[in-house]
Amino acid sequence: MHLSWQWLLTITSAFSITQAHANSWNMPVGVTDISQDIFGLHMAIFWVCVVIGVIVFGVMFYSLFKYRHSKGEKAANFHEHTSVEILWTAIPILILVGMAVPATATLKSMYDSSEADLDVMITGQQWRWRYEYLGEDVAFTSNMSTSRAQIRGEEARDEHYLLDVDEPLVLPINRKVRFLMTSDDVIHSWWVPELAVKQDTIPGFINENWVKINEPGIYRGQCAELCGVNHGFMPVVVHAMEEEEFEAWLAERKEAAEQEAMGVDREWEMEDLMARGETVYQTICSSCHQSEGQGAPPAFPALANNNQLISDLDWHMNRVINGVSGAAMPAFRSTLNPVEIAAVVTYTRNAWGNETGDVVQPATVAERIAQ
Amino acid sequence: MAPKLPPQHSLQHSSTAAAGGHSHHDHAAQPKGILRWVLTTNHKEIGSLYLIFSLTMFFVGGIFALVVRAELFQPGLQLIEPEFFNQMTTMHGLIMVFAAVMPAFTGLANWMIPLQIGAPDMALPRLNNFSFWLLPVAFTLLLSTLLMPGGGPNFGWTFYAPLSTTYAPASTTFFILALHIAGISSILGAINIIATILNMRAPGMRMMDMPLFVWTWLITAFLLIAVMPVLAGVITMMLMDINFGTSFFDAAGGGDPVLFQHLFWFFGHPEVYIMILPAFGIVSAIIPTFARKPLFGYASMVYATAAIALLSFLVWAHHMFIVGLPLTAELFFMYSTMLIAVPTGVKVFNWVTTLFRGSISFEPPMLFALAFVVLFTIGGFSGLMLAIAPADFQYHDTYFVVAHFHYVLVPGAIFAIMAGVYYWLPKWTGYYPNERLAQCHFWCSIVGVNLTFFPMHFAGLAGMPRRIPDYALQFADFNMLSSIGAFFFGASQLMFVLVVVMCVRGGKKAPAKAWEGAEDLEWSVPSPAPLHTFETPPVFNRTHHHD
Amino acid sequence: MWSVVKSVLSALLGVQNDLKRQQDFSSGNPAAFIVVGIVITLVFVLILVGIAVIASR
Repeated sequence: MHLSWQWLLTITSAFSITQAHANSWNMPVGVTDISQDIFGLHMAIFWVCVVIGVIVFGVMFYSLFKYRHSKGEKAANFHEHTSVEILWTAIPILILVGMAVPATATLKSMYDSSEADLDVMITGQQWRWRYEYLGEDVAFTSNMSTSRAQIRGEEARDEHYLLDVDEPLVLPINRKVRFLMTSDDVIHSWWVPELAVKQDTIPGFINENWVKINEPGIYRGQCAELCGVNHGFMPVVVHAMEEEEFEAWLAERKEAAEQEAMGVDREWEMEDLMARGETVYQTICSSCHQSEGQGAPPAFPALANNNQLISDLDWHMNRVINGVSGAAMPAFRSTLNPVEIAAVVTYTRNAWGNETGDVVQPATVAERIAQ
Repeated sequence: MAPKLPPQHSLQHSSTAAAGGHSHHDHAAQPKGILRWVLTTNHKEIGSLYLIFSLTMFFVGGIFALVVRAELFQPGLQLIEPEFFNQMTTMHGLIMVFAAVMPAFTGLANWMIPLQIGAPDMALPRLNNFSFWLLPVAFTLLLSTLLMPGGGPNFGWTFYAPLSTTYAPASTTFFILALHIAGISSILGAINIIATILNMRAPGMRMMDMPLFVWTWLITAFLLIAVMPVLAGVITMMLMDINFGTSFFDAAGGGDPVLFQHLFWFFGHPEVYIMILPAFGIVSAIIPTFARKPLFGYASMVYATAAIALLSFLVWAHHMFIVGLPLTAELFFMYSTMLIAVPTGVKVFNWVTTLFRGSISFEPPMLFALAFVVLFTIGGFSGLMLAIAPADFQYHDTYFVVAHFHYVLVPGAIFAIMAGVYYWLPKWTGYYPNERLAQCHFWCSIVGVNLTFFPMHFAGLAGMPRRIPDYALQFADFNMLSSIGAFFFGASQLMFVLVVVMCVRGGKKAPAKAWEGAEDLEWSVPSPAPLHTFETPPVFNRTHHHD
Repeated sequence: MWSVVKSVLSALLGVQNDLKRQQDFSSGNPAAFIVVGIVITLVFVLILVGIAVIASR
């Protein structure tokens, strides 16, 4: 099917400026068969529009020039011509049918997510992505890593300004990867132009999409559906690598996950929890509660000098683990592991003048989650 | 044809027929000063009120857009915070759609429909007054939410749940109330327009003799009555979800966030046609006038308008190609969307053929109407591209879409409104608008509108999502151009105000038939049109109408 | 009746001539046009659904 109208691609790409340069003006050709099909459709319909435009505007501007009143031109008085009207109705219909056939074929292959080699669960959260390699025990969140100083113009902006993350989604090339997409809060939309995958993530529902990447590389995109205040700061980065490289990476991540799981049972020192907690806080919590815990009331309460938080450890843990229903605070029981929750609770109870001295152990958190 | 009558107040208390216009009930002296405007039941005065309100809101919404464009002038956050940015994009959309474009068309309808069909006034004059005065109430309430704790609506003019319910600011309930009031105003206005058109045509004027502006408004009014209740329903469901613990749009309670989008776009897509069909009517009046040649395919135009109106109910989910609809649904909506391009294309072909072998002059209304044809068609082309569902997976929610709908709404709907204002100003004020200034306004607007919106196509194709307060560096050039264009366009509109104000105060005198090629009934009453016209119904002379 | 159906079909295409329009508007029963319009719209929807179902197989 893809081959059957390869000619469209060839013709249209001959017209377009060299594809490497076209990137900044035009839709990317992309690195999947689907993205190339879509590019072909895009260019085909574009040239159809150009041709119709040249004809229609040609007649129009010719008339405007030729039949000027100022030239003493007398108006004709015809106002109907059924066969012309039938012609200009029939031709567009034929063109549209001609476009609908390849579009239908592409759409069908986009919808065929069967027989995937790997399943990845993508979860949108305000304002980060969580990736879970199903059946592999590997999961992590991916946050924008562009610094606030760059956004504020206090530092020079780097090449991938706003399009860089702490941990990209790693995928193998040449394998069919199925995405199962959902959201924990509002609707987001996961989009990577080079992969031609854009799919809404909807709370409470799972959407499917799939990708089979032909070339290794790093592909960048953004959340495409308005999802709240940091919608513009929710990039997607996909790192596509050779299959062996991917297997090695996956094995390494599995091992790290096992290490982390063992960390739950041991007794942690306060400094270690504070250090870990600061990292977690700055990547996960600071987008709402701000980097110094000052919050942004009324939507996002302050944590620094928050009397309820300081006086009630139980309440505090409950908020982090179970979230607040009907508000922006999500439940972190499944997105963060017990070590991370313990660390971040310990950190917020001892930072910015919240000097409670409380140390929360991962084991305690694990117990709470199990209840 | 129509007798010139001294201004006198007549009370119309029957909506049944044109004959109602005969009965004169002299009563207490007409209120003076502000009360005259608050209590007026005259279609011309109410029309003016609508137009002034709309122009004011056009500038309010325009300032919001300029705040957005100023922030987007360069990468980085310079002027405003993302939270306020979201409120600005949302308010810009809501104000422009519900407070600028729609009331402008209602204003033109109020002024011109009775004049074009030879009726003394609207069928329901007091209702007319009520539906206007609901608008300032609704939009004062809506704008006041910006000052409330937590800020105003920040979820986009499409207000997708659950961002607009569970995660919305506290002011959302006021936003819902404001939209309800505006919706009631629209429905009442539509009822009035239908009643007027069906009952109050001059003796001898059949439906088929009506000018296209009247026809398109008749069909638009039916669309309004069909879909505004759907909007009212969906915002009421939001209200329940927010305040009364229901879960229409909350999956945790068994609801469905996608249901919101189906309901919203079942309203929203016909709404798009509500904003463009009257524009078709205005352009179809202006082009034959200045080409001095009857409209090519008047009959086809009427039928195509009806077809577009019906099809507009069948295409709503093309706004939702990436929400995960089943394949069959995607195909259905792709096909139906492609098909609606056909009757729309027919209209463009008809206008172009009307120009062919005409005798064309380029007065300001004609300039705007011609720009409408070209630029609306460009918006139509990008619409055709968006209809291709697989490609829409790339276009959706990018600046390509922003470029598309601004092309159909700014040089589309708004240019048509301006064309209409320039066309009918001589009738309203008795003077021609200042030709030179109007041309200057036109050329500045043309440059501004294209500089603003054309680069957005490229930004979108290159991958810039819409509704973001800051963007990656590769989009910087396009955004800088758009921002410069936006400020230029915004400033150019001050010229429009100047032309209108000057035209009200004086200028070159206009005769009753202000334009050489103008045909319709409104040109048979003196310029300026006296407060009361057609109190004795004119005899409609069919011979030079479309036959 | 057949002329009403033909008129509504040509409305869908946006092609109609003046003579036919004269006849349509003088025959005088708008209800017929509205009913036939709605029925044809429904038929149109069903045909489109049918095509979509077949195409998505």
